[in-house]
Amino acid sequence: MKIYRYTIQSLLLLFIFPLAINAQQGKEIFKATGSPENPKVQVVFNRYYTSEGLAAISKKIADAHPNLVRRQSIGKSTEGRDIWMMAVTNYKKGDADRKPGFYVDGNIHSNEIQGGEICTYTAWYLTENYGKNDYITQMLDERIFYIVPTINPDARNDYMLEGNTAHSPRAGMIALDDDRDGLFDEDGYDDLDGDGSITRMRRKSPHGNMIIDPKDPRRMIQVGSDDVVTAERYEFLGGEGIDNDNDGRINEDTHGYYDPNRDWGWKWQPDYIQRGAYKYPFSAPETRAVADFVLKHPNIAGAQSYHNSGGMILRGPGAKEDLSTYNRQDIRIYDAIGKKGEEMLPGYRYLTVYKDLYSVFGGELDWFYGSRGIYTFTNEIFSRFAYYKNSKRGQDVQYNFDKDLQFYDGFTPWKKFKHPTYGEIEIGGFKKNFGRATPGFMLEEEAHRNMAFTFYHAFHMPHLSVAEIKVKKLKGGLKEVTAIIKNDRLMPTHASQDLKYKITRPDFISISGVKVIAGMIVTNEDFNFTTEQKVNPSKIKVANIRGNNVVKVRWIVKGNSKFTVTVDSEKGGIVSKQGQ
Amino acid sequence: MFKKKQLSLILGIFICFTSLQLSAQSDYSNYSKLSQRLKNLQSSNSPVCKLEALTKTVGGHTIWSLTLSKGDAKNKPAIAIVSGVDGKHILGPEMAVSIAENIVKNHADILKTTTFYIFPNMSPNATENYFSSLKHYENGNARKTDDDRDGTTNEDPFEDLNKDGVITLMRIEDATGNYIKLEEDNRIVVPADKNKGQLGKYKVVSEGIDNDKDGKFNEDGKGGIQFNKNFSFNYPYFKAGAGEHAVSEKENRALLDFLYQQWNIFAIITLGPENNLSKPLKYNAGGARKRVVTSILKNDASLNKFLSGKYNKITKTKGAPAANGKGGSFSEWSYFHFGKLALSTPGWWAPKFKGDSLVKAKKNKYANFLQWADKEGIENAFVPWTEVNHPDFPNQKVEIGGISPYIMYNPPFKMVDDISKKHTDFIVELTKIQPNVVLENIKTESVDNGFTRVTVDIHNKGLLPTHTEMGKRSRWLRKIKVAISLNKNQEIISGRKITLINSIDGDSSVKMTWLIKGKGSVSLEAGTSHTGIDKATIQLK
Repeated sequence: MKIYRYTIQSLLLLFIFPLAINAQQGKEIFKATGSPENPKVQVVFNRYYTSEGLAAISKKIADAHPNLVRRQSIGKSTEGRDIWMMAVTNYKKGDADRKPGFYVDGNIHSNEIQGGEICTYTAWYLTENYGKNDYITQMLDERIFYIVPTINPDARNDYMLEGNTAHSPRAGMIALDDDRDGLFDEDGYDDLDGDGSITRMRRKSPHGNMIIDPKDPRRMIQVGSDDVVTAERYEFLGGEGIDNDNDGRINEDTHGYYDPNRDWGWKWQPDYIQRGAYKYPFSAPETRAVADFVLKHPNIAGAQSYHNSGGMILRGPGAKEDLSTYNRQDIRIYDAIGKKGEEMLPGYRYLTVYKDLYSVFGGELDWFYGSRGIYTFTNEIFSRFAYYKNSKRGQDVQYNFDKDLQFYDGFTPWKKFKHPTYGEIEIGGFKKNFGRATPGFMLEEEAHRNMAFTFYHAFHMPHLSVAEIKVKKLKGGLKEVTAIIKNDRLMPTHASQDLKYKITRPDFISISGVKVIAGMIVTNEDFNFTTEQKVNPSKIKVANIRGNNVVKVRWIVKGNSKFTVTVDSEKGGIVSKQGQ
Repeated sequence: MFKKKQLSLILGIFICFTSLQLSAQSDYSNYSKLSQRLKNLQSSNSPVCKLEALTKTVGGHTIWSLTLSKGDAKNKPAIAIVSGVDGKHILGPEMAVSIAENIVKNHADILKTTTFYIFPNMSPNATENYFSSLKHYENGNARKTDDDRDGTTNEDPFEDLNKDGVITLMRIEDATGNYIKLEEDNRIVVPADKNKGQLGKYKVVSEGIDNDKDGKFNEDGKGGIQFNKNFSFNYPYFKAGAGEHAVSEKENRALLDFLYQQWNIFAIITLGPENNLSKPLKYNAGGARKRVVTSILKNDASLNKFLSGKYNKITKTKGAPAANGKGGSFSEWSYFHFGKLALSTPGWWAPKFKGDSLVKAKKNKYANFLQWADKEGIENAFVPWTEVNHPDFPNQKVEIGGISPYIMYNPPFKMVDDISKKHTDFIVELTKIQPNVVLENIKTESVDNGFTRVTVDIHNKGLLPTHTEMGKRSRWLRKIKVAISLNKNQEIISGRKITLINSIDGDSSVKMTWLIKGKGSVSLEAGTSHTGIDKATIQLK
């Protein structure tokens, strides 16, 4: 009985203080610069987490920092999982959803998993450094981060838990009829050797054109037409699988196929024009959840999505046909941030989707910018540069890295298998978690550098202040009040796309506490050029407050009372200042 | 005793009266009457009618989906009929329900071979404006919208200033205005043409007050999102009534979700503003070659021409004004993004007044319309200009008047019956030529050693192709599947168990052959949901 009670007590203790037990004693630790010294929430960043794993970490972070994180589900996935978002800001200061917002997500393509960990790292880093690092503290006092580690939780799990290649599934889990035979997802991959990865099938064949590399049994070499070969010849038979539906083809209708990143509502095109489009914009529940959230949060001024791979910082336009949407003024801002990113992310290049990658409709970054006027980047995480920190090309690099630095952990050795159609074959090859996913020991660095890039981006969202209030006495008990509103960062309150189509409302600059006789925008203070606003002069509507620039407004007021000048901008937030 | 008699007499008169009312309907049906007609049709013909609620709009209206079919609805060719796509078009919903009634009552036999999915009214919130005490156009649903995107919602609606129950126009005498009276009918105002030496004398805006004092009239009323502006083909971004993105509204989404699941649909008929039945769409090589296709494809243009000929002959209509989609429309979507055989017609348009020995026909579209209305004895076609005091124009002459709303887009109600009948006939004709895949000329030959060669023609006996040219590209039309099933002791020596055929033209066939070893019989089937599936059991030799 005593023992029983003791056990209960210690279990309870464990339950209450699991973090304390995990955390190291302060005196055992020496701080490394740039990282939290002894974080409240311990997270290991040299491995990946399933959707449930990510959800559990985000809950820990939210529980440990109640004044900094609100965790909410922005919607349900196809299979009914919650799509978790962490809204990170200092909730004790200002109205959270009125601060300039920065949206980050990851994993729209299910096999492109790093975004989940980078997003989690970002939330963790922000919360663990608040109050300790001035830059982070100010960031969370003035801005809000909406962080969604995975917007594709179902297929993230499928990628990790089921037999897949490094490239599958790219889609979500809605079943589609890829071969138009009336059946849905009826012939997917088959993990014949049970290693969790879909690797390759090869067969000995006197007519094959491949041989085993005599110096490396993992590798196959192609036989040239002039080569005299004495070694055993092989032929490749494609990815691991069988003909599940007896139609004479193997793996022709796997999960999907649709592409959640062709599902966004800017210049959306159907599947026959844009392969991967589903039914209509936001027809996948996951992308719809994000769109609905963003439509309800006009304070979002910057956004980032994480993909893999290739080491790229991408901006739109996605499609050549959409070239005119991106104009010079906005491209200058994209360039400034993107080029900074190239410095911060060695091996990454700042590129434009339609000309450097492929011309594509219905992508996320185009909707964010084209439809919402939000400056948005997509980063393709990880490139071959990372293996040896140089740009050396060739297949050797991967084989060598796998041998020298991860001791063959990324390869399933060739093994015999009896295939129902092909007979005696061998199965083997690189595992699904090698090639696109960052190897464990480099993951934290990659997460950190990408996060730092988003901080630079978020820093340059509009930052408004009432810089100066000038009061001049006029005859007849009247006063002239001139307010100078400053935006001291790169981004305007309205991107030029926003201005062109009036996506977000004008900024309001208002005066309260005094009787207003007239109100106007000052276009040239020295020559006294102004534009009067005839209706409702106490609330001046300003189309835009440009980056690193000021706007001047003026009121003719009556009376001697104190007054307040307030700037209310959808993307620039709310600031005010008193005057007399 | 006496009292009871009296009561039953009164009741009897009442019943007589109501039934008379029903049989002699004098004006279009509003939403609730139309819903009642659908329910009546369903309850008195339940074996062939299925009435489902597709969704409920933001405004609280149920969107109805009516399925007509005898037997298995899913595996035979289907036609979808969609109307009420535009709130101005009151005729559409009325026609759709009448067509459904006609099919069930007079053409029930076609339901054995064709399924119908009918969506009578996709814009109930908008069409109800016709039946309200204030007749006005506002084609959107009940979603609150900031039509002028200024940050304030619904701050400048129209007002019925002359209290006549309709919203028309205001003309304001003003030297800075750009309009003048039309010479041939001075009730009509038209833009002044400087090149003809005309000086503008009037400003023309819609009836109402500039509530928000921004110089624009009625630019942000209750608005809403318009069903026929909310689809993904050539979507009108940021235009009032289009929504924040394509297919953003519940009714648009619910309809598409439903259609995407009906694999048997081969044709979609829209009863709405677009018209490719009176005049077929023209093929434009440049537009058809682009990545984002903007022209009907070549073979589909020929098909359209063929069907347009049939339409004009059967409905005996002519003189339809050109009416192409304006972007975001349902009918354009049904072809360009869904790949189906897409047909659209408003069902009626004001015929041209040709003039006679006494009266010369006027050239201007509106003046000519008024002549036609006059000839037809249509009253209140024009609200005569009357002067009002207007707060926004304190010292100016302001008059209210103009052509009554709805009257140019909807015929006098008495014509509806005939229009519906003729359109039913066209639809019945369409079912006769629909794609229809059958197995023809099944032959078996004995080859040595217990082998049998089986030969068959997979034949489309319909005049229409199994797939439009666009449909061949679309993932939403299945291929024709030919599958042969064997027993245990049988083996295919040559040929495939499953073959997918991309498409078969009208009255064309594909020959197939198998070499089979074994005894007994094999079963063969060919077709797909939208072509019908034919089956045969073949005895091996």
